Amino acid sequence: MTLYLSILTQILITVVAVCGVYVLTGLTGMFSLGQAAFMAVGSYASGILVVKCGFPFWLACILAVLIAVVIGYLVGFPTVRLRRDYISLVTLGFGEAITALLNRATKLTGGASGFIGIPRKTTFLLALVSAIAAIAIVSWFKTSKYGRQCIAVRGDELAAKAMGINVPKIKMNAFLLSVAVTAFSGCLYAFFITYVDPTIFGWKKSADWVIMVFFGGVNSLTGSVVGAFILSGLPEVLRSLDQYRSIIYAILVLLIINFKPSGIFGEWELSPRNLKALGEKLAKRSRKEEKTDGAA
Amino acid sequence: MALLEVKNISKSFGGLKAIQDFSLEAEAGEIHGIIGPNGAGKTTIFNVISGVYTADEGSVTLKGKDITKMEQYLITREGMGRTFQNIRLFKGLTVLENVLCAFDPQSKYGIVGGLLPTPKRLSEEKRGREICEQYLELVGMADYKNERPENLAYGKQRRVEIARALTCHPKVLLLDEPAAGLNPTEVSELTDLIQRLSVDIGFAILLIEHRLELVMSISHKIHVQNFGKTIAVGTPDEVRQNPEVIEAYLGKEE
Amino acid sequence: MSLQIIVNGLATGSVYALIATGFSLIFNVLKFSNFSHGALMTLSAFSGYFVAAQSGLGLVPTILVAVVTGALVALAGEFVAFRRITLNNSSPVYFFVSSITLGTMFEGIITVKVGANFYNYPQFFQNSTIKFGGVVISTSDLLMFFCSVITLLILAYILQKTRQGRGLRSVSFDRDTASLMGINVTRTIQFTFIVSGALAGLAGVFLGINYTLYPTLGSLVVKGFIASVIGGLGSLTGAIIGAVLLGFMETILISLVGSGYTPVFTFLLMLVFLLVRPSGIAGSNIQEKA
Repeated sequence: MTLYLSILTQILITVVAVCGVYVLTGLTGMFSLGQAAFMAVGSYASGILVVKCGFPFWLACILAVLIAVVIGYLVGFPTVRLRRDYISLVTLGFGEAITALLNRATKLTGGASGFIGIPRKTTFLLALVSAIAAIAIVSWFKTSKYGRQCIAVRGDELAAKAMGINVPKIKMNAFLLSVAVTAFSGCLYAFFITYVDPTIFGWKKSADWVIMVFFGGVNSLTGSVVGAFILSGLPEVLRSLDQYRSIIYAILVLLIINFKPSGIFGEWELSPRNLKALGEKLAKRSRKEEKTDGAA
Repeated sequence: MALLEVKNISKSFGGLKAIQDFSLEAEAGEIHGIIGPNGAGKTTIFNVISGVYTADEGSVTLKGKDITKMEQYLITREGMGRTFQNIRLFKGLTVLENVLCAFDPQSKYGIVGGLLPTPKRLSEEKRGREICEQYLELVGMADYKNERPENLAYGKQRRVEIARALTCHPKVLLLDEPAAGLNPTEVSELTDLIQRLSVDIGFAILLIEHRLELVMSISHKIHVQNFGKTIAVGTPDEVRQNPEVIEAYLGKEE
Repeated sequence: MSLQIIVNGLATGSVYALIATGFSLIFNVLKFSNFSHGALMTLSAFSGYFVAAQSGLGLVPTILVAVVTGALVALAGEFVAFRRITLNNSSPVYFFVSSITLGTMFEGIITVKVGANFYNYPQFFQNSTIKFGGVVISTSDLLMFFCSVITLLILAYILQKTRQGRGLRSVSFDRDTASLMGINVTRTIQFTFIVSGALAGLAGVFLGINYTLYPTLGSLVVKGFIASVIGGLGSLTGAIIGAVLLGFMETILISLVGSGYTPVFTFLLMLVFLLVRPSGIAGSNIQEKA
């Protein structure tokens, strides 16, 4: 039972991170290959604040998220005005820089051997509440004017500008929200595993998150969350296949991109109204089938 | 001082002079047609006026304010609305949401309202929806507000684009070939719509169009462009009789 | 600046130039950043190791195997990951996802084969350094420098003088018009991937000689990305200049702050560079069509 709870907690932490990636990649069409590095910032900053400075956990989390947002602003500032490729290239460089920094600043971070002795504060309940809160906030963001403008920017930057939309600002908002959410997932992670080292925050992790978003459906938060559940849960179920994990992911995603580019859920979101519509559709279909059965 | 003053603007791309020395003055309530063969630089004029490109020379003034070097989104907020030659509606949004995007920069709630459904956000969203639905009603698209634009016929998409531009509350509206790809009925409906808007809202309309009958019937003034240069300006009647125009636009009479 | 720094900077820069041009070629033609380039370098470097170097076949066969592997895998990658989205004119986001996915797949394949182990190419040279005046040059640096220069010259010749090269340039300029002019766009894209993959193979072997062979060796591709950003995305000449500049910067930084902190400083320099001159050294700025 505790094993399952532990697995579930880890999955929920990933769900929080993927909510952040969804804002950036799903809503705004930008790719951060250094997103995991922001998770690292959240993990290390909160860990150091608690272990070395004696801050309470909740305050450390808030400060860590703020630190990540400030760093995100510095990284984003020169890039949001430019073509979208720049944010991917620059965040990738940022990831490498953070890894180097964590490896070298041994006194503060423990260097390559990792940062140890973080107390365990993240419970299953906290992870669950955090995941629900992250999903709620991101879905409110999606339906707000900011979310709409993000979708507009994703679709056509020039037309967006012609509608009076401040494109760099919208991109920056999305980037910072995604950084904040991902950094928070880093806090949860550090205080669950109680140990962090620089290697777990490489570009592969950022790439995995992008893959989860696309697996579920790039335009659907529901899809991203389900994608995160399935793809981060799968390797736990199939332990023996662990080393083939990334290959299996890759094949799945290549199949999806080639044959169902909108992902499993497309643009469909889980909401009372959409659920009702789906129910009616299914009812109609079964009625139709009954009719044809009767005719036959 | 006129509402929109374009003074001697020029724009080159590499060696190609897309616009040379173009000038125009438009007052509220006027409709100006810009005509000319393909590659005459008509869309480039729109792109310079609306701030997609910055003019190499010359100036653009809106309500007495110099907007020549302003950023595109700020020019829009000063009162410049436009549509595009190849319809550019946002994918992934419904018709109403497309129009709302033009209202969003004017919407008055902050980032807290962006993350939580605050009362301020709810009331602003409601106000936005009402305004946008009014504009959709005005162009006759209110019934389609929950459709996806890509599922609509070309003529309907054009109307949505116009409603979206109207939501920017423009003082000057730029329409880039609004009749392209429409059938004759749709063209005459569109002509009525443009004239009605011009009278009801009272902004200046600049119109690029290939269909001469449309431009000639509703414009107060016509600018004829050829290879980046203005070859004639005047009322439809004056332009129609200008020999240079006949030669450039309609071909030389044998 | 001492002569030693110039020599080291040029040697480092020339390998970065190979990475950056391989990356920029595909950026030029398909207008997207190919994030599988790094993993492809690793994959080809390892295939050179297992097929040739391990059985004692020496440097030239190792390079050949790596180059051919790089070219073929890139060609296959184009087919499985990019063909359909190119034909459908899909949104650029799909290119990102495809290339990221392809990259994780390559890296996954390598990990399955070698685990997390480190491998070393055998010693290819009898004398590992040459003294030249007061300057010590490692034989491998010398070789890398000349190989890279020759490769880039051949590349320039192909792009400027051959039919395929002209096709490539016209497709990168305007795909639709090129297609109307009778250029086989799919062929040209395949050709681009082959060339880019071959460059990845060569760069992979050099990186393997310089460092060791390990599954995440490909993350050094970030040097090529930084070089292209400094040089101006979309410009091949810019990428080469940016790479050499980056080589010098790194060599100087290593002597100042040590190799550990160097990535931090190169990253900060890149940010500053983007602020001051976002269009890069070459000043090429690809504008979205209005």
